[in-house]
Amino acid sequence: MKRGYQKSSPYFFRLIKIALALTVLALMALAALVPAPLQEQADLARVPNPVKSAWFLLWIQELVSYSKYLVYLVLALTVGFIVLPWLSRSPQHQGACWFPRESRVVCCVALATCVAVLALTLVAMCCRGANWQFVSPF
Amino acid sequence: MIKDFLKHLFPRAVLQRNLTLSYTLCLGGVAFTCLMLLAASGLLLLFYYQPAPAAAYPSILLLESSVWGGRYLRSLHRLASHFFLVLIVLHTLRVILTGAYQKPRELNWLVGCALLLLAVFEGYTGYLLPMDQLALWATQTGMELLHIMPLGGALRAALVPDGVGEPASLLRFYVLHILMIPGALFFLSGLHFYRIRKNKGVLPYL
Repeated sequence: MKRGYQKSSPYFFRLIKIALALTVLALMALAALVPAPLQEQADLARVPNPVKSAWFLLWIQELVSYSKYLVYLVLALTVGFIVLPWLSRSPQHQGACWFPRESRVVCCVALATCVAVLALTLVAMCCRGANWQFVSPF
Repeated sequence: MIKDFLKHLFPRAVLQRNLTLSYTLCLGGVAFTCLMLLAASGLLLLFYYQPAPAAAYPSILLLESSVWGGRYLRSLHRLASHFFLVLIVLHTLRVILTGAYQKPRELNWLVGCALLLLAVFEGYTGYLLPMDQLALWATQTGMELLHIMPLGGALRAALVPDGVGEPASLLRFYVLHILMIPGALFFLSGLHFYRIRKNKGVLPYL
Protein backbone atom coordinates (compact mmCIF):
# COMPACT_ATOMS: atom_id res chain seq x y z
CA MET A 1 0.00 0.00 0.00
CA LYS A 2 1.39 3.41 -1.03
CA ARG A 3 2.16 5.86 1.73
CA GLY A 4 -0.84 7.97 2.77
CA TYR A 5 -3.34 5.51 1.26
CA GLN A 6 -5.72 3.09 2.98
CA LYS A 7 -7.65 0.14 1.60
CA SER A 8 -11.28 1.05 0.86
CA SER A 9 -12.34 -2.17 2.52
CA PRO A 10 -12.81 -1.94 5.46
CA TYR A 11 -11.87 1.71 6.26
CA PHE A 12 -13.87 3.63 3.62
CA PHE A 13 -16.75 1.13 3.49
CA ARG A 14 -17.10 1.24 7.28
CA LEU A 15 -17.63 5.01 7.14
CA ILE A 16 -20.24 4.63 4.37
CA LYS A 17 -22.08 1.90 6.29
CA ILE A 18 -22.17 3.94 9.51
CA ALA A 19 -23.42 7.09 7.72
CA LEU A 20 -26.06 5.08 5.84
CA ALA A 21 -27.28 3.26 8.97
CA LEU A 22 -27.42 6.42 11.11
CA THR A 23 -29.35 8.35 8.42
CA VAL A 24 -31.89 5.59 7.88
CA LEU A 25 -32.38 5.01 11.60
CA ALA A 26 -32.73 8.74 12.37
CA LEU A 27 -35.29 9.22 9.59
CA MET A 28 -37.24 6.12 10.61
CA ALA A 29 -37.38 7.30 14.22
CA LEU A 30 -38.36 10.86 13.27
CA ALA A 31 -41.07 9.62 10.89
CA ALA A 32 -42.75 7.94 13.85
CA LEU A 33 -42.77 11.25 15.74
CA VAL A 34 -43.69 13.66 12.93
CA PRO A 35 -46.80 12.53 11.01
CA ALA A 36 -47.35 13.85 7.48
CA PRO A 37 -50.18 16.41 7.40
CA LEU A 38 -53.35 15.74 5.44
CA GLN A 39 -55.96 18.49 5.10
CA GLU A 40 -59.46 18.31 3.59
CA GLN A 41 -59.91 17.16 0.01
CA ALA A 42 -58.76 19.68 -2.62
CA ASP A 43 -61.49 22.10 -3.66
CA LEU A 44 -60.90 24.92 -6.14
CA ALA A 45 -63.98 26.74 -4.80
CA ARG A 46 -62.46 27.11 -1.32
CA VAL A 47 -59.42 29.37 -1.55
CA PRO A 48 -57.37 29.53 1.67
CA ASN A 49 -56.07 32.90 2.83
CA PRO A 50 -53.12 33.27 2.67
CA VAL A 51 -52.20 30.88 -0.12
CA LYS A 52 -48.67 29.64 0.40
CA SER A 53 -46.41 27.65 -1.89
CA ALA A 54 -44.35 24.61 -0.91
CA TRP A 55 -41.89 25.44 1.91
CA PHE A 56 -38.86 25.25 -0.38
CA LEU A 57 -40.39 27.87 -2.74
CA LEU A 58 -41.65 30.19 -0.01
CA TRP A 59 -38.57 32.44 -0.23
CA ILE A 60 -39.33 33.15 -3.92
CA GLN A 61 -42.98 33.86 -3.08
CA GLU A 62 -41.91 36.28 -0.34
CA LEU A 63 -39.42 37.94 -2.68
CA VAL A 64 -41.87 38.47 -5.56
CA SER A 65 -44.47 39.81 -3.12
CA TYR A 66 -42.30 42.97 -2.99
CA SER A 67 -41.95 43.19 -6.78
CA LYS A 68 -42.52 40.61 -9.49
CA TYR A 69 -39.32 41.79 -11.20
CA LEU A 70 -37.32 40.34 -8.29
CA VAL A 71 -37.83 36.97 -9.97
CA TYR A 72 -34.99 38.07 -12.27
CA LEU A 73 -32.75 38.24 -9.20
CA VAL A 74 -33.58 34.58 -8.51
CA LEU A 75 -32.75 33.68 -12.12
CA ALA A 76 -29.54 35.73 -12.06
CA LEU A 77 -28.40 34.03 -8.84
CA THR A 78 -29.19 30.60 -10.29
CA VAL A 79 -27.26 31.28 -13.49
CA GLY A 80 -24.44 32.91 -11.50
CA PHE A 81 -23.99 29.84 -9.30
CA ILE A 82 -24.16 27.46 -12.30
CA VAL A 83 -21.29 29.26 -14.10
CA LEU A 84 -19.29 29.70 -10.88
CA PRO A 85 -16.26 27.61 -12.01
CA TRP A 86 -15.79 29.98 -14.96
CA LEU A 87 -16.26 33.14 -12.88
CA SER A 88 -13.78 32.51 -10.09
CA ARG A 89 -10.01 32.35 -10.18
CA SER A 90 -8.18 29.03 -10.25
CA PRO A 91 -6.98 27.71 -6.90
CA GLN A 92 -3.48 28.50 -5.77
CA HIS A 93 -3.39 26.56 -2.52
CA GLN A 94 -2.10 23.00 -2.44
CA GLY A 95 -4.49 21.30 -0.06
CA ALA A 96 -8.24 21.20 0.33
CA CYS A 97 -9.54 23.65 2.92
CA TRP A 98 -12.59 25.57 4.07
CA PHE A 99 -12.88 29.22 2.96
CA PRO A 100 -9.88 29.27 0.57
CA ARG A 101 -8.29 32.72 0.42
CA GLU A 102 -8.80 33.27 -3.33
CA SER A 103 -12.51 32.36 -3.14
CA ARG A 104 -13.39 34.57 -0.19
CA VAL A 105 -15.82 36.74 -2.21
CA VAL A 106 -17.63 33.68 -3.59
CA CYS A 107 -17.88 32.20 -0.08
CA CYS A 108 -19.33 35.45 1.32
CA VAL A 109 -21.88 35.73 -1.53
CA ALA A 110 -22.90 32.08 -1.07
CA LEU A 111 -23.31 32.47 2.70
CA ALA A 112 -25.23 35.76 2.31
CA THR A 113 -27.54 34.10 -0.24
CA CYS A 114 -28.21 31.21 2.13
CA VAL A 115 -28.96 33.54 5.05
CA ALA A 116 -31.28 35.63 2.85
CA VAL A 117 -33.13 32.55 1.57
CA LEU A 118 -33.53 31.27 5.12
CA ALA A 119 -34.76 34.66 6.39
CA LEU A 120 -37.25 35.06 3.54
CA THR A 121 -38.54 31.52 4.11
CA LEU A 122 -39.03 32.16 7.84
CA VAL A 123 -40.82 35.47 7.20
CA ALA A 124 -43.14 33.86 4.64
CA MET A 125 -43.75 30.84 6.87
CA CYS A 126 -44.33 32.55 10.20
CA CYS A 127 -45.09 36.24 9.59
CA ARG A 128 -47.60 36.25 6.73
CA GLY A 129 -51.30 36.25 7.49
CA ALA A 130 -54.49 36.91 5.54
CA ASN A 131 -53.96 38.88 2.28
CA TRP A 132 -50.22 38.38 2.78
CA GLN A 133 -50.23 41.01 5.54
CA PHE A 134 -47.32 41.05 7.94
CA VAL A 135 -48.33 39.51 11.27
CA SER A 136 -46.41 38.81 14.44
CA PRO A 137 -45.34 35.17 14.75
CA PHE A 138 -46.05 35.33 18.50
CA MET B 1 -22.42 -10.72 -6.02
CA ILE B 2 -23.91 -7.42 -4.74
CA LYS B 3 -20.97 -7.02 -2.39
CA ASP B 4 -18.50 -7.45 -5.29
CA PHE B 5 -20.45 -4.98 -7.43
CA LEU B 6 -20.43 -2.36 -4.65
CA LYS B 7 -16.69 -2.91 -4.12
CA HIS B 8 -16.08 -2.12 -7.79
CA LEU B 9 -18.00 1.15 -7.50
CA PHE B 10 -15.26 2.49 -5.25
CA PRO B 11 -11.49 2.65 -5.67
CA ARG B 12 -9.47 -0.19 -4.11
CA ALA B 13 -7.51 2.29 -2.02
CA VAL B 14 -8.28 5.83 -0.93
CA LEU B 15 -6.16 8.67 0.35
CA GLN B 16 -6.28 8.65 4.12
CA ARG B 17 -6.91 12.41 4.08
CA ASN B 18 -9.98 11.83 1.86
CA LEU B 19 -11.66 10.10 4.78
CA THR B 20 -11.53 13.24 6.90
CA LEU B 21 -15.13 13.87 7.96
CA SER B 22 -14.55 17.53 8.87
CA TYR B 23 -14.05 18.27 5.17
CA THR B 24 -17.02 16.59 3.43
CA LEU B 25 -19.28 16.06 6.48
CA CYS B 26 -20.64 13.10 4.47
CA LEU B 27 -23.42 15.40 3.21
CA GLY B 28 -23.53 14.09 -0.36
CA GLY B 29 -23.56 10.46 0.73
CA VAL B 30 -26.25 11.10 3.33
CA ALA B 31 -28.35 12.95 0.70
CA PHE B 32 -28.01 9.93 -1.61
CA THR B 33 -29.09 7.68 1.27
CA CYS B 34 -32.24 9.83 1.55
CA LEU B 35 -32.80 9.41 -2.19
CA MET B 36 -32.61 5.61 -1.83
CA LEU B 37 -35.00 5.73 1.13
CA LEU B 38 -37.36 7.91 -0.94
CA ALA B 39 -37.25 5.38 -3.79
CA ALA B 40 -37.96 2.47 -1.42
CA SER B 41 -40.82 4.18 0.46
CA GLY B 42 -42.22 5.67 -2.76
CA LEU B 43 -42.25 2.25 -4.41
CA LEU B 44 -44.42 0.91 -1.59
CA LEU B 45 -46.75 3.93 -1.75
CA LEU B 46 -47.32 3.19 -5.45
CA PHE B 47 -49.27 0.05 -4.53
CA TYR B 48 -52.11 2.20 -3.12
CA TYR B 49 -51.93 5.61 -4.80
CA GLN B 50 -54.37 6.33 -7.65
CA PRO B 51 -53.38 9.25 -9.95
CA ALA B 52 -56.90 10.51 -10.73
CA PRO B 53 -58.40 13.71 -9.20
CA ALA B 54 -61.42 11.96 -7.68
CA ALA B 55 -59.51 8.87 -6.50
CA ALA B 56 -56.18 10.35 -5.27
CA TYR B 57 -57.37 11.74 -1.94
CA PRO B 58 -59.51 8.68 -1.05
CA SER B 59 -56.53 6.45 -1.85
CA ILE B 60 -54.43 8.41 0.66
CA LEU B 61 -57.24 8.12 3.25
CA LEU B 62 -57.37 4.37 2.62
CA LEU B 63 -53.59 4.14 2.96
CA GLU B 64 -53.66 6.03 6.26
CA SER B 65 -56.68 4.33 7.82
CA SER B 66 -56.74 0.76 6.54
CA VAL B 67 -53.20 -0.20 5.53
CA TRP B 68 -50.90 -1.44 8.27
CA GLY B 69 -48.01 1.06 8.50
CA GLY B 70 -49.48 3.20 5.72
CA ARG B 71 -49.53 6.44 7.71
CA TYR B 72 -45.96 5.80 8.89
CA LEU B 73 -44.78 5.05 5.36
CA ARG B 74 -46.20 8.35 4.08
CA SER B 75 -44.58 10.26 6.95
CA LEU B 76 -41.25 8.58 6.21
CA HIS B 77 -41.48 9.50 2.51
CA ARG B 78 -42.35 13.11 3.30
CA LEU B 79 -39.65 13.50 5.94
CA ALA B 80 -37.00 11.88 3.72
CA SER B 81 -37.91 14.32 0.93
CA HIS B 82 -37.44 17.30 3.28
CA PHE B 83 -34.08 15.97 4.44
CA PHE B 84 -33.03 15.20 0.87
CA LEU B 85 -33.59 18.82 -0.17
CA VAL B 86 -31.91 20.30 2.89
CA LEU B 87 -28.91 17.95 2.64
CA ILE B 88 -28.40 18.55 -1.07
CA VAL B 89 -28.42 22.34 -0.44
CA LEU B 90 -25.94 21.94 2.45
CA HIS B 91 -23.76 19.71 0.26
CA THR B 92 -23.77 22.39 -2.48
CA LEU B 93 -22.87 25.04 0.10
CA ARG B 94 -20.01 22.85 1.37
CA VAL B 95 -18.71 22.44 -2.19
CA ILE B 96 -18.73 26.24 -2.65
CA LEU B 97 -17.14 27.01 0.73
CA THR B 98 -14.31 24.54 0.11
CA GLY B 99 -13.73 25.62 -3.49
CA ALA B 100 -14.38 22.08 -4.74
CA TYR B 101 -16.38 23.38 -7.73
CA GLN B 102 -13.29 24.82 -9.38
CA LYS B 103 -11.47 23.38 -12.37
CA PRO B 104 -10.91 20.51 -13.13
CA ARG B 105 -14.22 19.67 -11.38
CA GLU B 106 -16.45 22.04 -13.35
CA LEU B 107 -18.33 19.22 -15.12
CA ASN B 108 -19.19 17.59 -11.80
CA TRP B 109 -20.32 20.99 -10.49
CA LEU B 110 -22.76 21.23 -13.43
CA VAL B 111 -24.03 17.71 -12.72
CA GLY B 112 -24.50 18.70 -9.06
CA CYS B 113 -26.44 21.84 -10.02
CA ALA B 114 -28.70 19.71 -12.26
CA LEU B 115 -29.23 17.32 -9.32
CA LEU B 116 -30.20 20.21 -7.02
CA LEU B 117 -32.68 21.67 -9.51
CA LEU B 118 -34.14 18.22 -10.22
CA ALA B 119 -34.50 17.59 -6.47
CA VAL B 120 -36.55 20.80 -6.13
CA PHE B 121 -38.67 19.82 -9.14
CA GLU B 122 -39.15 16.32 -7.70
CA GLY B 123 -40.33 17.82 -4.40
CA TYR B 124 -42.68 20.17 -6.24
CA THR B 125 -44.30 17.44 -8.38
CA GLY B 126 -44.75 15.26 -5.30
CA TYR B 127 -46.48 18.07 -3.41
CA LEU B 128 -49.63 17.83 -5.56
CA LEU B 129 -50.14 14.08 -5.36
CA PRO B 130 -52.14 13.81 -2.06
CA MET B 131 -54.72 16.20 -3.60
CA ASP B 132 -55.66 17.85 -0.31
CA GLN B 133 -56.10 21.61 0.11
CA LEU B 134 -52.43 22.11 1.04
CA ALA B 135 -51.28 20.21 -2.06
CA LEU B 136 -53.61 21.97 -4.48
CA TRP B 137 -52.95 25.53 -3.39
CA ALA B 138 -49.21 25.12 -2.87
CA THR B 139 -48.95 23.75 -6.41
CA GLN B 140 -51.21 26.50 -7.74
CA THR B 141 -48.98 29.15 -6.11
CA GLY B 142 -45.88 27.45 -7.53
CA MET B 143 -47.45 27.69 -10.97
CA GLU B 144 -48.12 31.42 -10.46
CA LEU B 145 -44.42 31.86 -9.59
CA LEU B 146 -43.44 29.93 -12.71
CA HIS B 147 -45.78 32.04 -14.81
CA ILE B 148 -43.97 35.31 -13.99
CA MET B 149 -40.61 33.88 -15.13
CA PRO B 150 -39.42 34.20 -18.73
CA LEU B 151 -40.90 31.30 -20.77
CA GLY B 152 -42.91 30.42 -17.67
CA GLY B 153 -46.20 30.53 -19.58
CA ALA B 154 -45.03 27.87 -22.03
CA LEU B 155 -43.66 25.70 -19.22
CA ARG B 156 -46.90 26.05 -17.30
CA ALA B 157 -48.92 25.05 -20.37
CA ALA B 158 -46.74 21.96 -20.78
CA LEU B 159 -47.00 20.95 -17.12
CA VAL B 160 -50.60 21.91 -16.48
CA PRO B 161 -52.58 21.74 -19.73
CA ASP B 162 -55.98 21.64 -18.02
CA GLY B 163 -55.52 23.42 -14.67
CA VAL B 164 -53.81 22.35 -11.43
CA GLY B 165 -55.34 19.16 -10.02
CA GLU B 166 -57.24 18.31 -13.20
CA PRO B 167 -56.80 14.83 -14.76
CA ALA B 168 -54.06 15.58 -17.32
CA SER B 169 -51.96 17.73 -14.99
CA LEU B 170 -52.19 15.25 -12.10
CA LEU B 171 -51.15 12.44 -14.45
CA ARG B 172 -48.20 14.48 -15.73
CA PHE B 173 -47.05 15.35 -12.20
CA TYR B 174 -47.40 11.67 -11.26
CA VAL B 175 -45.35 10.36 -14.22
CA LEU B 176 -42.70 13.03 -13.67
CA HIS B 177 -42.58 12.31 -9.93
CA ILE B 178 -42.38 8.53 -10.00
CA LEU B 179 -40.52 7.86 -13.24
CA MET B 180 -38.82 10.62 -15.17
CA ILE B 181 -37.28 12.79 -12.44
CA PRO B 182 -36.17 9.86 -10.21
CA GLY B 183 -34.66 8.20 -13.30
CA ALA B 184 -32.74 11.38 -14.08
CA LEU B 185 -31.72 11.77 -10.42
CA PHE B 186 -30.27 8.24 -10.24
CA PHE B 187 -28.56 8.56 -13.61
CA LEU B 188 -26.96 11.90 -12.70
CA SER B 189 -26.01 10.59 -9.24
CA GLY B 190 -24.17 7.73 -10.96
CA LEU B 191 -22.42 10.24 -13.22
CA HIS B 192 -21.63 12.40 -10.15
CA PHE B 193 -19.95 9.45 -8.37
CA TYR B 194 -18.12 8.44 -11.57
CA ARG B 195 -16.74 11.96 -11.97
CA ILE B 196 -15.55 11.94 -8.34
CA ARG B 197 -13.51 8.80 -9.13
CA LYS B 198 -12.32 10.33 -12.37
CA ASN B 199 -11.19 13.45 -10.48
CA LYS B 200 -9.28 11.23 -8.06
CA GLY B 201 -11.42 11.48 -4.94
CA VAL B 202 -13.59 13.91 -3.06
CA LEU B 203 -10.81 16.25 -2.03
CA PRO B 204 -9.58 18.71 -4.63
CA TYR B 205 -5.97 19.50 -5.44
CA LEU B 206 -4.47 16.50 -3.66
